[in-house]
Amino acid sequence: MTTDAESRSGCQAYEVLLEDYLNAELSAEDAKLAADHLADCAACRAAVKRANASTRLLRAAEPSPDPGPAFARMVMARIRSAENEKAASRANFWQPFVSLGWRFAATATFALAALVTYNAGWLHRSQPNVALQRPTVDIFAPEPARAPATGGEVLMMVADTGHEK
Amino acid sequence: MAASAPALALPFRQGEKKAEDRELVRLSQNGSEPAFEELVRRHQQRVFALVAGILHRPDDVEDVAQQVFLKAYLGIKRFDQRAAFSTWLYKIAVNECWDYLRKRKVRPLVYEADLSEEQVSRLDGIVSSERPPVGANARAETRELLDRVLALLPEQDRQLLVLKEIEGFSVQELAEILHLNVNTVKVRLFRARGRIMDIYRRRLGSKAKSHAVPAEAEKE
Repeated sequence: MTTDAESRSGCQAYEVLLEDYLNAELSAEDAKLAADHLADCAACRAAVKRANASTRLLRAAEPSPDPGPAFARMVMARIRSAENEKAASRANFWQPFVSLGWRFAATATFALAALVTYNAGWLHRSQPNVALQRPTVDIFAPEPARAPATGGEVLMMVADTGHEK
Repeated sequence: MAASAPALALPFRQGEKKAEDRELVRLSQNGSEPAFEELVRRHQQRVFALVAGILHRPDDVEDVAQQVFLKAYLGIKRFDQRAAFSTWLYKIAVNECWDYLRKRKVRPLVYEADLSEEQVSRLDGIVSSERPPVGANARAETRELLDRVLALLPEQDRQLLVLKEIEGFSVQELAEILHLNVNTVKVRLFRARGRIMDIYRRRLGSKAKSHAVPAEAEKE
């Protein structure tokens, strides 16, 4: 007794063999096995008949056409375009970092210049002008008075003062 | 890409048509653009057929096929040549097709299977071997009619039948690129052959009969 599936496609155990039988890809031994089975099994005979009809129908159809030589050229153009995009995107990846680097360098330079300028100005203000503040030495001026060191010098000073009066 | 690449293009076009894929792959891995272009030329028809067989959307086939070769180019340095280049390429094509269908959330195009009586009669002539199509134009028309009938099949059955019987892929190739066991492919093919005839007779058989009746009436 055959099942519903078997009545449509033949006996399941013989499906592989019958597919090869349709394509004439069986050894002599297997071909005899298939022929013997087909002689005994009406379901498989019907299945092979249907399969043969569909194969005739399918093999009558035109396969997809070759896309032609322009296709290869278009593929290569697409590859080049993709490679260029890849290179551009690689450059774009580093672009923000490069830009940031330049900004940092510019800011650092500006800050350094400002610091140097400010420091120079501060030093200028805080350091006394040695040239201006150096006392002029008058070689003709009397020697500045100094405190008497001994009792004799005191007496001499008093005597000088009295004499001047 | 190598700037000197065009200089390599001539030998392949003129005298080295029989250069093995392996050598072309090796050259491509070293950055030879003409070598890869030759690989494209050698395999474009099969990739086109494979993509057309899976997508069933003629407008998108070329775009997806180009994408397949672009991916192959970008990944060729990682290809270790343990499998044939064609098998590796076809696997990329199958994955690309599924990605495409998933991203676009589209199903393969479903044609209206409603054929005219004349069209059904033409297919009947092929099925009965009485009137096989002669010439590329007749075969192209048959393909168009058949695509409408095939659209009524489950997607996997349709793909297997189209790729095996129309586009000429072998069972072994189909098993490799679809990640299936060889015997599984054979069983599915055998069942799909039966199913398409069931659909053909069930959906279009009445028209074939209705076409036959007036012909007989005319004779009377």
